[in-house]
Order: sequence, then C-alpha cells, then structure tokens
Amino acid sequence: MEKFTLLGKNRKRVDTAAKATGEALFSADLSLPRMLVGKVLRSPHPHARILAIDTSKAEKLPGVKAVITAKDIGGDKWGVFRYTQDQQFLPTEKVRYVGEEVAAVAAVDEDTALEALALIDVQYEVLPSVFTMADAMADGAPQLHDAYPNNINVRVKIDVGDIEKGFNESYLVREDLFSAPEDTYCQAEPYAVAAQFDQAGNIEIWMPNAGPHMKAKPLANVLKIPLNKVRVRKITIGGAFGGRSEISPADVICAFLARKARRPVKIVYSREENTVATRQAHALVTRIKTGVDREGKVLAREIICHMDGGAYSSTGPIATSVPFLCMEQAYRMDNVRFTGYRILTNKPIRGMFRVHGRAFACGVDVQLDRMGEELGIDPLTMRLRNARQAGDYTPTRSYVASCGLTEAIIRVGEKSGWKEKFGKLPPYHGIGIGCNSVQTGFPMGIRGGSQAFIKLNEDGGITVITGIVDNGQGNDNMVVQIAAEELGLTPDDVQLISADTEVTPSDPGSYSMCETFIGGNAVRLAARDVKRKLFRIAAGEFGTGEDELTARDRKIFVTKNPEISMSIAKAVRIALSRNESISGEGSYWPDVDAKREWVKNPYGQLSEAFSFGAVIVEVKVDPETGQVEVLEATAAQDVGFALHPQVIEGQFEGGIAMGGQGGMLTEFLQWHEGRVLNPSQSGYLVPLAIDMPKINSIIVETIDPKGPYGAKEAGMSVAMSAAQAYCGAISNAVGVSFHDYPITPDKIVKAIEEKKKTKK
Amino acid sequence: MKKMKRYSLTLTVNNETHAVVTPPNRTLLEVLRDDLHLTGTKEGCGEGACGSCTVLVDGQPVRSCLTLAVAMEGRTITTIEGLAQGGRLHPIQAAFVEHHAIQCGFCSPGMILAAYALLNENPNPGEAEIRRAISGNVCRCTGYAKIVKAVQSLAGEGR
Amino acid sequence: MKLPPFEYLEPSTVPEALSMLDAYRDRVQIIAGGTEAVNRLKMRLISPDYIMNIKKLPDLGGIVEHEQSIIIGANVSINEIRDSSLLQDKYKAIAEAAFQVAAPPLANMGTIGGNILQNTRCLFYNQSEIVLKGLEVCHKRGGASCLAVKGGKRCFSVYQGDMAPALIAFDAQCVLEKSGSRRTISIRALFSGEGVQPFSMAGNEMLTGIIIPKQNGAYGSAYRKLRLRGSLDYPLSSAAALLAINADGKFAVSRLVIGAAGPAPKIVDGASAALLGKLPEEANLKAAADMAYELSEGVDNLALPGDYRRKMVRVLAQRALKGARADMKRGM
Repeated sequence: MEKFTLLGKNRKRVDTAAKATGEALFSADLSLPRMLVGKVLRSPHPHARILAIDTSKAEKLPGVKAVITAKDIGGDKWGVFRYTQDQQFLPTEKVRYVGEEVAAVAAVDEDTALEALALIDVQYEVLPSVFTMADAMADGAPQLHDAYPNNINVRVKIDVGDIEKGFNESYLVREDLFSAPEDTYCQAEPYAVAAQFDQAGNIEIWMPNAGPHMKAKPLANVLKIPLNKVRVRKITIGGAFGGRSEISPADVICAFLARKARRPVKIVYSREENTVATRQAHALVTRIKTGVDREGKVLAREIICHMDGGAYSSTGPIATSVPFLCMEQAYRMDNVRFTGYRILTNKPIRGMFRVHGRAFACGVDVQLDRMGEELGIDPLTMRLRNARQAGDYTPTRSYVASCGLTEAIIRVGEKSGWKEKFGKLPPYHGIGIGCNSVQTGFPMGIRGGSQAFIKLNEDGGITVITGIVDNGQGNDNMVVQIAAEELGLTPDDVQLISADTEVTPSDPGSYSMCETFIGGNAVRLAARDVKRKLFRIAAGEFGTGEDELTARDRKIFVTKNPEISMSIAKAVRIALSRNESISGEGSYWPDVDAKREWVKNPYGQLSEAFSFGAVIVEVKVDPETGQVEVLEATAAQDVGFALHPQVIEGQFEGGIAMGGQGGMLTEFLQWHEGRVLNPSQSGYLVPLAIDMPKINSIIVETIDPKGPYGAKEAGMSVAMSAAQAYCGAISNAVGVSFHDYPITPDKIVKAIEEKKKTKK
Repeated sequence: MKKMKRYSLTLTVNNETHAVVTPPNRTLLEVLRDDLHLTGTKEGCGEGACGSCTVLVDGQPVRSCLTLAVAMEGRTITTIEGLAQGGRLHPIQAAFVEHHAIQCGFCSPGMILAAYALLNENPNPGEAEIRRAISGNVCRCTGYAKIVKAVQSLAGEGR
Repeated sequence: MKLPPFEYLEPSTVPEALSMLDAYRDRVQIIAGGTEAVNRLKMRLISPDYIMNIKKLPDLGGIVEHEQSIIIGANVSINEIRDSSLLQDKYKAIAEAAFQVAAPPLANMGTIGGNILQNTRCLFYNQSEIVLKGLEVCHKRGGASCLAVKGGKRCFSVYQGDMAPALIAFDAQCVLEKSGSRRTISIRALFSGEGVQPFSMAGNEMLTGIIIPKQNGAYGSAYRKLRLRGSLDYPLSSAAALLAINADGKFAVSRLVIGAAGPAPKIVDGASAALLGKLPEEANLKAAADMAYELSEGVDNLALPGDYRRKMVRVLAQRALKGARADMKRGM
C-alpha cells in the first residue's frame, strides 16, 4: 500500500474557511450591475388548458423591463431522455400541476415585480385532475400527456432466472405491501438563478447545480446558441442530494428575461417554490413477494413497484429503476422479477433523491426480518446469509469487483453490541439493521466520462481544470488533494477551476455518485501525466530512470538518494527554456455496458464499482405517545478507500439524519387536491440537533481495483441503510412490522392498540 | 402601488455605523444583504424556521428575516462578517473548519453565531446544552455531529 | 418572502400607543417580537395600513413580585420568563412552558403578550397564495367553507400557544388598556372560544400586563407539550396542571388546562370537581385525564391526525397532573 501525505488524512478542506466567514457566494448572493429582480407567475390549477395570457398591463407598469410567456421561449419539449421529451419550459397549451410556471417578469425591484405578476391576466379552462396513482391509471382518467396512455410514464421490467421455480422450492414465502408518501430534499439553500448576456450574445448563468454541463446543453438548445456561448459558472452550492441536476424552468426563464431586458436578472425562489417548483421525491407503493429456504437464503423475489412521478417525466427511467438496483446489488437474488411503473399525476415533478425508495428498501429488509423470525434466525444473520460478495454478478449482470458488505455487517454488529442486545432488550426498546448498496455512476452516454487539465506555473504551482462540481460534500477539496498528492505539492500550491462550462471539460456531475470515481480518476490521470513529463525532465538531468524518482515536498528526488533533487519549479522552467510547453491531461470513461438502457435493455455492466454498507440503530419507544427516542446509530460502509475519513464520516452522519431520523420519523409531504400543505420548513420537518442520536462511523476499505486509490461512492448508501435500520429497530421495539412510512407517532400508537386488541 | 415613507436609520453593524434609507416594509435581513451587501446572512425559509438568517442583536441571536429593519435604530448588530478580526478566523470559525463541521456552508453563518452566543453566555456547556442552543438552526448536510464536536472543543476554554 | 407595504408607527409611551389604536383601530397591527406578526404579513394573512411597534414602550417590562401577585409586563421575553428563578421555583408550569416555546432565538424575540395573543393555526389557513388560490375561501379567511373538514360549518383552527394554558392553570389575569380606561379579565375570558376571531378584544385595546395571583400553601404545577421534533415546533397537544392541597392534605385547588385541542385553551372543569377533597395518592388522575379527552377537539388540520392528537390530550393531561403532584411534593 502506498504511503500518502494528504490522502487518507483529515486536513482542513480548502473551501470551508470562506463558508465560515460568510464570504463564499451562493447564487442568491450575487449582485451584478443594473441587475433586475425576476419573479414567476404560477398556475393555481392542477390541470387546465391555457386559453389566453394578457401581459399588456404588466408590460406597461413602470419599472418592468421584460415580461415573457411561452411565445418568447418557443414550444420545444425537453426531456432527460430522447424518449421522455414532454416538458416545455413555459407551457403553450396546458398546465399540469399547481405551481407550474406560466409567465415571468423582470423588474427594477421586488415590489414592482410582484405587482407586475398580479397584472398578468391568464384565462384557464379547468380540466379534471388526478391526484392518486389509482385514479391516474384508471380507464377514462384525464390524460396528462398524449404520449402516455393511462398516465403510465415509464415501465421497467427486469426478469432473471426462474421465480416460479424459486418460489416452489422455498420453505417460506411471504408477500407484503409497503408504502410511503412523497418526501423532499429540503436543501438548506433555496433555488436561485442569476443570468446575464454580454454584447456578443454569450450568457453567463449561475445556479445551484449537480452538473453544470448537464445544464449547459439544454440551455444552448433552447436559446438556440452554440454550447460555447453558454457559460454555466462555478458557484457555491447549498446542497443537492440528488436534485438540481436537470435544467429547470427557472434557468430558462431567467436566461430569456435577461436576454429580453438586456440586463442581468436574478430569480430567488422562496422555500415554498423550492419545494413545489423544482423537484420532489416519489411516493411509492411496493408489493414484494419473497421466498427463502430453511437457512434464510432468498430463492426468489418478485417486486411490483408503483411510483408517483408528478406531472412530467424528469429522470423517470432512472428513478423507476434505482430502488430495485440498489437492492439487487446489496443482496443476492438469482431469481427475481421486477416491474416498476412510474405514474403521472397532477402534482409537482418528482426526481431522484438520496433517500429514494424508502418503501422499497425498507420492505425488502422488513421481510428478511419477519421471515428470519419465523425461521429462528436473527436479522443480522439473515443479512449475512444473503449479502452480496465480491466476484458476484448482480441479476442484471453487473460484475462486482469489490464488496465489503459482509465485513461491514460484522463490524457494525460488533460495535453496536448486536448479539448482547437483539432479543434481550426490555419492552419498547429495539434494535434493527439495514443494508444497502449504491452504484458509483451509471451509463450516461456522451456525458459519461470526465476530463481534467493541469496547467503549471513556472514557480511550481499548478491549476487544475475539471468539470467536477461540489454541492457541499467536499469534491473541490478532493480534486486538490489528489492533484497535490500525485505531484508532491501542498494544497496551497493547487488552484482549482471547476464546474465552469466556459473552461472546464465535460463531466457527468455529482448526482449519480460518480464524482470521486470518474472525476477523481480523471484528475489523478491528469496529474500522473504531468508527473511523467516532469520525471522525464528530471531523469534526464539526474541521469537516472524515471521509475527511480519520487515527487514530494515540492521536489523531485531520486527515491533511494534524496539529496539528488530538484524543485518542481525548476523542472517546469527547464521545459519552458527548451521552448516546450508543459501541462497535463487526463480523462476517465468507466468501462460500462454502453448498450445498457434503463427501459429497453436493463442488463449489462451498470457501473464499475458499488459501495456497500450496513447501519444498526437502537431505539426506545414511548408506548403512550408513540414518540421514538433514538439512542445510537452505527454505520459501516465499504467506501473502497477513504480519501478523507472525516469528510466521509460527515456523509454517514448526514445520511443517518436524512434517511433515518427524517425519512423514517418526520418527513412527508401533506396534500390537498394537488397542493402541498407543508412546503415550508415549519411544516416539512427535518431533524434538529436535539433529535440526533450518538453516531458511530466505521469505514470499511476494500480498495476497489478501478476507483482512484481504491475509492468508491460514500454519500448515498448510508442514507438508505439508515432508513432501513430505523424501520427495523422501531418494528423490533414495538413488536409490530411497519409497512407505511414515515413511522410517525400516531402510527405507532395505533399499532400498539391493535396489538393489544389481537392479544385479547 | 402604495408609496411608502422612507426612513433614515443609523444601523450599527459589526462596529461600523451605516446610514440606511428604507421604506418600512423591509426586514433586517433584506437591508443587511441588499443595502449593506453583507451576504453572509442567508434567507433559507423566510419564516424563522431554519435559522440561516440568524444575527446577533445586542449579543442575542434573533431571526433577521422576522425583524423589521426600521425597529433596529440604536441596536448593536453582529453578522457573521463581524467575527473574523484582521483576516484571522474567530476561534469558533476555526473550530468549525478544523472539525469539519461545515459541508455546503449555507447554514454555517447562522450556526456559528448561535454557537457564539451560547459560549458567551455559558463558556462551558455540556452536549445537551449545545444541542439545545443550536436546536433552532437547521442543517441538512452534517447531521450536526461535527458541529457539536466543534463547539465542545471550545467549551471550558477561557476567552 | 416580501413584506406587503405598510406605514410604521413607533409610539414612545403607552398613552401614545393607545391613542394610535383609537385612531386606526382595525387598520393597525401591533408588533412586539415580530415572530408572529411578520409571518402573518408575509403570508398576506393580514394587510394592515399600519404596523405599530410596541417593543420599545416603557412600563411593559419586568417580572415583579407583589404581596398578592406576580405582575409580568406584556413585553417580557419568553427567555426572560424561562430564566426567572422565581417562576422556575414557584410557578413551574409557566417556566416550563417558556422553556418549550419554539427554540431559543425565537423565544428571545418573542414576548409573553405576543405568545398569548398568537392567532389560531391550521394547515389550510397558514398558507400563501400559491397553495390557496383556486380553492374555496375558508371561514377564517372570510369565506363560508372549511377546507379541513368537508362541510364544516365553523372554523376548526387550533390555538397552539404554550404560555396561555400554563397561565390559565394559575388563573392568571390580563390587563387590557385603551385610551382612558383599563380592564382586567382572566386570560381564560380573553379567548372567544371560536376560530375566526379567537380573542375577545376591542380593536383599540392593548394587552399590557399579566397578573398571576399568588398561590399559597403546598402546591405544584407542570406543563407538558407534544411535538414531532425536540424543538422549534408548535404543540400538537399540550396540558398544564396546577394542584394545591389544604391543611388536611387533600386537594383544594386543581386546574387542568388543555391546549392545541381546539380554538382556545380549555379548562377541564370536571377534573377540578373530581379531584376536590381527594388525597394526592388516591386521586384519580386518570379519570381527570379522561375528562380532558372528552373536552378535546382534533381534526386533520395539523401535522398529525386529529384522533391521535386527541388521544395525546389524555396522555399529556395525565403527565401534567403527575408532574404537578411531583412539583408539589418537591416543595413540601
């Protein structure tokens, strides 16, 4: 194992001092000369035809500099996939959810902009709407889009092995239904966009994003300008959690307002708009049938999952697949059939979310617990019996090169005292376990690879140029760490230009958990390219072979004879004095199956690496109020290699909060006729410091053969396995299985009452 | 649109006095961010439920999004920009950085000020007291674990 | 969220404030801490012509012990009440309620007057235009429907203030002033009992002080609150209890008050009768809690279902009674 100076250590991140002083600029903090305030007019109806829009009074209001409707933008439909192009940035014919964008204004101040909105007159013909999946799929239901009969947006079918045979051979079979309403990201930063054009028609635009290059292309398309005129700029981003990856109507609206007004425009979303008008997470209903043998090994599994997608496709095919894929990676299941449906309803649009599919993952684990109980096998052992192993192929035929799931389960069991506690705790005191796995990226076509450049200065400092984006998780720091480590520099020697589409090369973005794996590898390769060139120069000067050299402490020296050295600066100047430019380039494209497609061909290598982990949680339930006190949570995660242990722990801790504490106890959207009743932070309740348990973090390292230094994803899996563990622990405490999430106190009280009744 | 009277205020922010002219329907948060360009204080929710807008008024943490600017004449306001002195991080800021208590950073200014106010009132808080003092500040990234550690690292140190 | 336009008034004395109330009546909204009023303005629940800031008025501060009572100025902050050793020691329910209001920064801004006079709340009422446009107008907003209860003929909004139930448990009074006169009524009587206009106050009246009659002998009190998280949130259910015994060790005074169980806090009158003359150990606290349940109201217009919140009234009432009994024993 190589010895590292920077990697694997806990040095300060390069970006957090500016955040601590308030100097770091988020999109809403930007101030541009003569900037206008943009505001969006939204549909009050869940489903309606737009008959006419009269903006004349708004346009005449003093202080209003631009008003736009669909006719300014054009009616082209956009979609993440070619076969899901169903969304216009301002609709021409129909609105399909309460809150959908209809028109927008840019004015000299907020009061004027709000007044202008009130002066826009929209004539609607209200249409019947559907708010539940059952209503949406029924024959004769109002159709949201002509392209999707019965409002079935996506259907994914995966069928592997022979489930009938598997069920027939099973000792135990059970079938259950699991459900959960929508949850949502609730990033700390509400969405905001700022945009300005220059004289040459180039646009600069800032917004929180999980991949600036994914924003740039649709912007170029809709603005009808080439990509090189679209500059999505680097900006500090206040969290993404799976959101903010797709182009948003706000982005397009802001750009068109800026172009029409010929002045910069900034749109800042309220917290409500962030909840309603960006993305939410899907509601799920999952039917799972599982058969096991006497040892608790799963012989067959059938899953039918319906997801409520809201009014448009968004990342539909991905969303419909990922909950299943996580489970097929985590647990062995040779015979499995999965049918996933994404259904459209007249509600805000749903996208990918870090805690995607609590009613799926928790369902799988609940069944393992219950069947294990019948067999006399404890939940932890059930996980071990079914755990994914390195060298396996998943049902959809991904080869799993590295897998530390078994080690994670064992270590989390030891740390949490599982053996001493399970089955031995007093009443209403419980312990539970959850396991999950997350793919490190998936096939993204021409967006699937990352490239990095390195520029060298004659004084030995460097600038790394990469498309990698940082949503707060520490990716900027990762890039600097890797480049500095490879070249023997300190972080202060490394400047970073990242996530700016004018300059940085394409990168998949962060939402698919691939920045470390794909982006990090590209940076590593670019740095090695530089190192080779510098070593060639130094070797020439020293008269040694290139493989006899080391770079450290800003110097290149002969490994066995460190007095023979030269500064990196000197090596650079030698190159320049020979009239040779010196720079580095590296690119990384994961070796995945390019023919794998979510719907048409969901088989083949999905990702080069997968993370694996387990969480164990201990809880105490107040049987009178149903409130849950979470005592301790322990997470063990195979992250391949910990580039920065404390940063990774931060992901575990945040994941436990989001997926477990919030996802299982308090987070759900409340509805009335397609309207979110709790869009604000006083209504949508995320965990507070006073709610969180003691957290133990265990990093498992399997050194993946392809990951940079062996690293894989570390940000999403714990959020999921925490949800599963919370569910298991509460079920264990109460002695009742919970199938509907979140497990709020009223559901616990009801379950206890019913249990007492059946006892009698 | 109703024409409102504009008020002349003198606001003392981070030991500097500022002459501000504003109509009354503006919060302290708006004036700090838009008039004084102190954008370290954030709007996370606009209704006082998240704590991103936390500033200190006469040393006490308040929600600047629920505070009328015109009511602040004569009060001493501290924003996150007022903590670092001469380019050096305040010990609380340094502790947050050292302990990796900052991820996306949006909640950090409010969180740091809440911790600052706590340590001013109680220089040696226990874990429960720390969690309660920051219980009004929402963080979506960290799960609060390292924020608590950062504040604990400062407990008991004379300042 | 942008505030609507308004004119700002900052009277320097209470008489000046009262004459402004006289002049503007329903066109003026009082603001003290701002935690309630500013939110209602942002949501456009109110659009007053004037905002009158009373936070700087003299004579509205102080927690002062008199011979027969404790007088608390309307502008005293929740945190000051929380930290008062007098209240913590002898009026525990009131200090406990203050401790559980919202979270420390909000409790720092908020005043006891403002907390008592907070308006009732409902998922369907405390919404902005983006949600409500296109729906029927509810009773509380001047319409004729209820969005929470289909066909509801009256308003089911919920009073979620923490301070009022604890104060009512002590039979606290409040001073209401208007130009030229003042009246003192029980805080209980301040509440109209209905959701559209929750308070029985004239448009030119201002709450200036709270009077807590001193309790004598051996007594104890407690306030219990239920919310989903450990801080910040309004109560989904709450209960306050005062228990006092006389010389022969039997209950002479008992007040059980439930909150977040209707448009106003409610005294469970039957509980007082049931506990009167009983020994603390023999008293049937559970029966008193059952009466609280009978009196409670809960529909599905908050974060958790109404029937659950009603069940919790029973649980919290019992816990408040037990807490009051323990507080009483502590003092003996």
